Amino acid sequence: MNLLKGLDKLILKIEEFILSYAVIIIALMVVGKALSRALFNYSPPFADEVSQIAIVVATFMGISYAARKGRHISMSAFYDLAPFKVRKILAIFIPLVTAIVLFVLTYFSALYVYDVYDSGRVTSALQMPAYYLYIFIPIGFFLGGIQFLRNMWINIKDRNEVYLGTDAKDYNDQTKHEVHEGTHL
Amino acid sequence: GGGNGDENAGGSEGQTYNWKFVTEEVDGQVQYEYAEEFAKRMKEKSDGAVNIEVYEFGGLGSETDQVEQLQNGAVEMAVMSPGFTGNMVKEGQIFALHFLFPDSVEKTQQILNDSEALNKDLRGKYEEHSISPLSYWTEGAMQWTSSKEISEPADFQNFKMRTQTSPLILESYKAYGADPTPMSWSELYTALDRGTVEGQENPIFFIGDASFYEVQDYMTISNHNNYVAMTTVNTDWYEGLNDEMKTMVDETVSEMQEWVFEEQKSQNEKWLEEIKNDDENPTEIVELTEEQREMFKEKAMPVRDFYRSDVSTVDGKILDKLQEEIKAAGE
Amino acid sequence: MVATLLTIMVVLLLLNFPMMIPLMAAPLIVLFMYFPNLDPMILMQQFSTGIEPYVLLAVPLFIFAADIMTTGKTSNRLLDFIGSFIGHVRGGYAVTTAAACTLFGAISGSTQATVVAIGKPMRERLLKIGYKDPTAIALIINSSDVALLVPPSIGMIIYGLVSGTSVGDLFIAGIIPGIIVFLSFAIYSVIYAKTKDIPLANKASWSERLKMTRKALLPLGFPIIIIGGIYTGIFSPTEAAGMSVLYAFILEVVIYRSIHLKELPKIARSTGLVTSAVFVLVAGGQAFTWVISFARIPQMITETVLGTNPSAVYVLLMVTIFFFIGCMFVDPIVVILVLTPIFYPAAMNAGIDPVHLGVVITFQAALGSATPPFGVDIFTASAVFNKPYLEVIKGTPPYIIMLVAISILLIFFEELSLILL
Ligand code: NA
Ligand code: NA
Repeated sequence: MNLLKGLDKLILKIEEFILSYAVIIIALMVVGKALSRALFNYSPPFADEVSQIAIVVATFMGISYAARKGRHISMSAFYDLAPFKVRKILAIFIPLVTAIVLFVLTYFSALYVYDVYDSGRVTSALQMPAYYLYIFIPIGFFLGGIQFLRNMWINIKDRNEVYLGTDAKDYNDQTKHEVHEGTHL
Repeated sequence: GGGNGDENAGGSEGQTYNWKFVTEEVDGQVQYEYAEEFAKRMKEKSDGAVNIEVYEFGGLGSETDQVEQLQNGAVEMAVMSPGFTGNMVKEGQIFALHFLFPDSVEKTQQILNDSEALNKDLRGKYEEHSISPLSYWTEGAMQWTSSKEISEPADFQNFKMRTQTSPLILESYKAYGADPTPMSWSELYTALDRGTVEGQENPIFFIGDASFYEVQDYMTISNHNNYVAMTTVNTDWYEGLNDEMKTMVDETVSEMQEWVFEEQKSQNEKWLEEIKNDDENPTEIVELTEEQREMFKEKAMPVRDFYRSDVSTVDGKILDKLQEEIKAAGE
Repeated sequence: MVATLLTIMVVLLLLNFPMMIPLMAAPLIVLFMYFPNLDPMILMQQFSTGIEPYVLLAVPLFIFAADIMTTGKTSNRLLDFIGSFIGHVRGGYAVTTAAACTLFGAISGSTQATVVAIGKPMRERLLKIGYKDPTAIALIINSSDVALLVPPSIGMIIYGLVSGTSVGDLFIAGIIPGIIVFLSFAIYSVIYAKTKDIPLANKASWSERLKMTRKALLPLGFPIIIIGGIYTGIFSPTEAAGMSVLYAFILEVVIYRSIHLKELPKIARSTGLVTSAVFVLVAGGQAFTWVISFARIPQMITETVLGTNPSAVYVLLMVTIFFFIGCMFVDPIVVILVLTPIFYPAAMNAGIDPVHLGVVITFQAALGSATPPFGVDIFTASAVFNKPYLEVIKGTPPYIIMLVAISILLIFFEELSLILL
């Protein structure tokens, strides 16, 4: 169990690190290119490509982190009106199906990565193998699938609360009066 | 992956074919018009048995996506620019070399039709990737538009030129002393307007269609190279066609060469007139003298060595052969 | 096929599935059911294609800059400065929000970036002085909309290419409709503030204003860098987003020292989280678009509704409806690319001016991205403000009513766009 906890912590740290630095790298590349062109009349050709790699990495590696924090966007209009029991059932059912879909996506995106690898395609500026970029898609889907399974599990284990993610309890139970206040518009 | 056009067998006589033909341009532009005409002719010849649906650019993703869709058989046919496959079939970047083909677009088209280097050797390179180029054709010569006059290489000094990101294209503009600036298409109009970049290259019809001339003061008729497109098919699908269909496709491909030449010519001429006559957005047309053209060509020549050493996977053999053919055609 | 797509989308959404699931699963299921010969790999390339456009980078960059500014002092100083001039005016903050969103949206070219960059600080101030959250968010989302209409509009640039229409003319034609939208929002804001009795600040004295101005001198560099940088052509809009991160960093970390360098990765992480939550939907939307385009669904539907020789008003009405619905699902730029060629020939036959058509299309694209049930601006607001979906859309009806009314005006009076030409 401790080993699992340690592993969870490690994955969390890695996810956080990747998200942080993907954003910082985008900022550095875009600013660097602009300043370099304005001051030295030179546009580093790799800058755009590095930013684009970073945005793909952030997007897909962020799936599991957002799932953990319960921050994926959903149309909660009807869910929010449901009683505790219905929400509890949904909180088990939804992550399960979501995880299954993400695993299916993992499979097909892994096949796609192999296809790109096979074609030998390189990126246009850095001339590096193009599959380096796409490999983050199956990894992101897979980690996302695992995290949604964990979201399901915590809802099965703890009978008294509804969790939107392992690190996020349902706002409907926490901030009842705050939400209520906002409704008379 | 293999090709799999829907074929509804109803006895060999009543068989119908549904194929998809994707292009990199939108309705009205050269590639799209080509595909529409192609579809029309195939339908007529087959008495309605061949039904080709033409897709314009936009809904099916990026140009690179479309290449992959042809490769794994989601679409059977595609008009493709070698530029968008250059990261996979390196030899295809040959068309990005400046002043390789003759100044005359007509002569260039003749070479594209007849060249063995292209129609056999380069085609072989593509077929390693399940792409069969059945023909090469020009969409018109590429021209420069700019915010200051460009008539000799010295004018490119410290000039921010929008280009694509491939190392060969960057090298081509560095050779003139310009500062090649990669920039996405969607930002280009505003960037030209505000002077973030000072110039760009495209065939005239595209310069007109995308309104670039509205935010540029000069257009140099540089004819520095041609925008070449290829009519491509999925190799496995094509090889699997019955003889009758294959002959029909080949015939149509070859008769379309003349048609598309006239099409690009009339579109480019029409837009040239429109750009010249737009008094609200005046654009000065700069014609190069033979001397000025030679000056550019001289600067561009060393880039061919870069192509041989840094791009080509066959030490420039296809380029060498093509150069011979071009030379022979000139005599 | 359309029924299958819609059923999957609606059922999964109403059940409160993460929105990426219907967007990514529905195209996959349609492929399995209707195109069994096709390799589903095709959809995977679309995921990355959807988020690769360079202009989209402005979104995480503006989120990052806004996160730095609101964590530190910059944002409050700017808002105090604005407040000292308009705090005593009825609806002053709301009108300022509308103006700032319109202006910023026009310049940055991204409605999403505007929701973040202007919306984030302005919302906090609006809440502080007594506005309800749904009202504040609706105001922000909808004023950011107008971004697509005011030059240099990316939507118009794309329409210009697809249709061969002059981009310069389109820019000019968008001005009056843009102003009408802004004015209606402004008038509504004043009326709202009056009827809801939003408390007013005391009118600031000129010495107070001077003090606030002095404190805001450095933060005022923001608009100068962004607007000045783009208009003089030193930076592209995306680069201006990058420069605003740099400037926020210099102010907060170097000059005010309100943020320690060590805290920066934590701020970036929160930016990354929000970016991911929004961009997985953009990725899914692209795959969704691919299936719809591949199956020729827009052509099928429009052929049926347009019939032969439709009248100009009818065509414009259909354009309005289709672009509106399309933009509920996917990025407005993609919708313009896909739908324009389908309607353009019918519109020309009916004698509609291509420039006017462009304005109507751009207007609907903008409106669609801020209207429930789907919409990139709603997603962005939900992610950035960390608010449940219902809270985000609850305040939108008055704005939708205003925008629909202006749409109808546009259909019947093409002069609104053409008179300045
Ligand atoms: Na001009
Ligand atoms: Na919407």
